[in-house]
Amino acid sequence: MNDIDDFVTLLRDEIGLPVTAEHAALHLDQVPGWDSVHLLSLLAVLERETGRRIPLPAVLEAPTLGHIYTLAVDG
Amino acid sequence: MSVPEEDVFGLLRAGLAAGAYPRLRGLLAGLRDADLQRAGRLLARLDPAEVLREHPGTPVVKVAVTGHGTLSALVPALTVQAARHGLLLRPHVSAFDSWIFELSDPGSGLYAADGDLTLCVLDPFVVFDEVPVPWGPADVERVLGEKLATLERLVKTFDAAGRGGVLVLNTIPLPRRWSAQLVDLRSRAELGAVWREANARLLRLAGASVAVVDLDPLLAEGVPVTDPRLSAYAKEHLSAELIAGYAREVVHLARGGAGRTKKALVVDLDETLWGGVLSEDGVDGIEIGEGYRGEAFAAFQRVVKQIGSQGVILAVASKNDAEPVAQALRERDGMVLREEDFVRVTANWRPKHENLTELAAALNIGVDSLVFADDSPFECGLVGRQLPDVAVVRLDEEPALHIERLLADGWFDVREVTAEDRARTSRYRDELVRADFREGFTSVDDYLAELDIRVDLAVPSDREVPRVSQLTLRTNQFNLTTHRLQPAEVSAWIADPAGLVLRIASSDRFGENGLVGAVFARWEEKVLRIDNIVLSCRVFSRGIEQTCLAAVLAHARAEGASAVTGDYRATAKNAMVRDFYPRHGFVRLDDGDGSAASFRLDLHASPDADGTGGTEGTGAAGGTGGTGTGGTRATDGTGFPAHVQLTTTLSGVPR
Repeated sequence: MNDIDDFVTLLRDEIGLPVTAEHAALHLDQVPGWDSVHLLSLLAVLERETGRRIPLPAVLEAPTLGHIYTLAVDG
Repeated sequence: MSVPEEDVFGLLRAGLAAGAYPRLRGLLAGLRDADLQRAGRLLARLDPAEVLREHPGTPVVKVAVTGHGTLSALVPALTVQAARHGLLLRPHVSAFDSWIFELSDPGSGLYAADGDLTLCVLDPFVVFDEVPVPWGPADVERVLGEKLATLERLVKTFDAAGRGGVLVLNTIPLPRRWSAQLVDLRSRAELGAVWREANARLLRLAGASVAVVDLDPLLAEGVPVTDPRLSAYAKEHLSAELIAGYAREVVHLARGGAGRTKKALVVDLDETLWGGVLSEDGVDGIEIGEGYRGEAFAAFQRVVKQIGSQGVILAVASKNDAEPVAQALRERDGMVLREEDFVRVTANWRPKHENLTELAAALNIGVDSLVFADDSPFECGLVGRQLPDVAVVRLDEEPALHIERLLADGWFDVREVTAEDRARTSRYRDELVRADFREGFTSVDDYLAELDIRVDLAVPSDREVPRVSQLTLRTNQFNLTTHRLQPAEVSAWIADPAGLVLRIASSDRFGENGLVGAVFARWEEKVLRIDNIVLSCRVFSRGIEQTCLAAVLAHARAEGASAVTGDYRATAKNAMVRDFYPRHGFVRLDDGDGSAASFRLDLHASPDADGTGGTEGTGAAGGTGGTGTGGTRATDGTGFPAHVQLTTTLSGVPR
């Protein structure tokens, strides 16, 4: 996963979320098809992709997809 | 020619999954667990109403879910498991940790969902949320007692509500994170005892309207109970892997409730019920009962017999001659399953899907009631393609894994087995006459076209000589003259300037078949005399034999031959190739006693002028032999079947 586009592809392919890069800045409540339960499967997918442990409390508090992406790549 | 395989993720990405819903069952069948979880997440987004608009007949399973913790992985897992069995899930999920409230009130949303199954998912925190600190086994025992009393009351309420449907509970796992907190082993043992007593009490709640899924066997397979981080931060107390296994079991229950329980298990013989190839190794040569593999096959036979004892009809569909099969099942030591365990033993050379169709008709059950287990990817693929409603259990060359493969999908799971069920096999057997079928083949061209069959024809290397010799020694059916050759004789034949020896290697999209046959011929001036052709019975009727003959004819023609001859010498086992040469345009030379015959094909300048030409094939008469030597397939005008790719070092063969 090298950039936000890869992240968006992952969201579409792994979670089935119909999003584009423009949705990354929206509050999660405004992201089409979003449900908080997706965070849990998304976490497993992101850790598999990055090979890193991602702090779950921070992910649970992330307001946007962009924040989640940053947490996944920067820790 | 091969057609790209349809891919479930491609369909999902393209938004075509609803339209393709009936096909998903077959596409999902081969997915690994991680891919199933992913497919489940994507499929869970599909609106069941959309699927029903496209396919109104899809059987729907309504599942209402409640429980203690977060269950984010459950609906995707149930969705994909349902799709694997051709069912459509309509889920209802109650609010987090509302199980006592929802199940206590027959007016709740959970009851209103009117589930065929109502799942109450229990996890260890149901108990440990209420155990004080510090604690001992007695504290746990007290809370367990309270919870069991609550569950018993909820079951009564559920029964009294009389909604129908089944309430599904589960045993509660005991993770090490609690047992290890007790530092003395005596207390730890006591905790284990009170925990298991409670689970035993839970299991005994199973009854007319209650089912209890035992999670212990799933956990014993090495599945983690929990993901500590998801449990701590998200209250998701059961791991996604455990939830996936649980969903699998739940859908087996749902399938039974939807009247889709399988009724019959049809098994292959060679490499499925015993090791080796009966037609090559003989009744005494197959592996069963003794030796490493023989014991593994016997263990598998015991499982098949056990399943058969509970109302599942057992039958055999094997590519073999009937007589040695009957003899092996009757007389061979170490065999657990005998003829009388099967309602029908079908041993013939017809495509297995035809045998399965006839078996279902004879038993008066649908083909969708059949489970078919075979080690051959070819047979599994063919049955899966021709009869998508048959559940195919794909075994492989490792018999120690047969049992897990067969049992993985709980094909025969029911809520209860009746006396009627137990008597079923003997009843059907009385009604059926065992028969083997030797009628014509129906076309399987489409399937063959997708198989990507490749044939490599070459002079054997020194290293390959032993295998070529072995093929002449062990092959009985497709062995035109049964001319057995020791390795030294094979080498001498190769070294002879007038000799022509070719070994046949083949592969298909399932993998390599290895060296599967050989051609032995000799030049006598301008005539190429084929002494023998052998081909392993595991690969014939796929166009391989026809490809090889066409190549030999093309080579002979290019080398200036005026004719090619061939012989057939009858044995007890090779009747299937009696018509091999005439079917490919050869003319019979003598009127012998029927046990031996010689054939000749005069070669003319044009490839199409001789008997192997013409797209109608050479095999217009192919139906009579009932053993299909590939002659019925469409050819490219030179006798080469269009679906087989040939590579060869042989001169004069078109590439």
